[in-house]
Amino acid sequence: MPSRSELDLLYQIGSQLAPAIHQAQNWPYDVPHAQYEASLWPPHDVGGQPDAPVRYEEKEEEQWELDTYVTCEVLGWKGVWNAEERRRRGNNDIGLSLYYDFPYYGRWVLCAARMLVDKNHVSLLELLEKIAEVKARYGKP
Amino acid sequence: MESRKTGNAPAHFNVGDLVRVKDLPNLFYSRTQMYVRGVRGTIAARTYEDLLPEDEAWNRDDAQPEQFYIVRFRQKDLWDGYPFENDTLQTELPDRWLEPAGH
Repeated sequence: MPSRSELDLLYQIGSQLAPAIHQAQNWPYDVPHAQYEASLWPPHDVGGQPDAPVRYEEKEEEQWELDTYVTCEVLGWKGVWNAEERRRRGNNDIGLSLYYDFPYYGRWVLCAARMLVDKNHVSLLELLEKIAEVKARYGKP
Repeated sequence: MESRKTGNAPAHFNVGDLVRVKDLPNLFYSRTQMYVRGVRGTIAARTYEDLLPEDEAWNRDDAQPEQFYIVRFRQKDLWDGYPFENDTLQTELPDRWLEPAGH
């Protein structure tokens, strides 16, 4: 259970996950056309945005990333999904905040979970209870 | 739509029981407010049986219906520095999201 001050922090961070124009949005009826176009712009169409220089990092894949890759491939091999719905849509059609908030393979894990729930291979609450059980087993908050 | 199986939902709590809302991870969808998770409240009423919102949202119409309850919380338990002693907040939760919290 988050302490009340941790909960407050969570809500504060959550309220800052607004679109990148950094103007608070609250389901407005008057959306300027440019903003409408920008909002529907698929986040994985990366390139062209103004940005500060980013440090280039050589990095080996971590074990969880390799595990994620194999898990997703096995789900494909078993016919549960195909590579296109995973790569083209599941990993990408998740909105700007999630797209930028997680590493590459984090998006793979997220979309595998989403797909398994969407296709009724597991119910959402069964999945949440299992995640809670595994977190407790490893002593994670 | 077919009528749902009712009358056999597990109901572990009675009016007056102390319960704690399970603190499950957040993923995709929820009707269990973040501010009640892990917090202790009192069963104020048993309401009705229905599908879990998590099952309804994915068309799992043949899932086991759950007993729902109105749970009452002290506002002071929910919000840091809440100033009024006697204020309460009620919300509705299914059996599956609750665990016993002593007497």
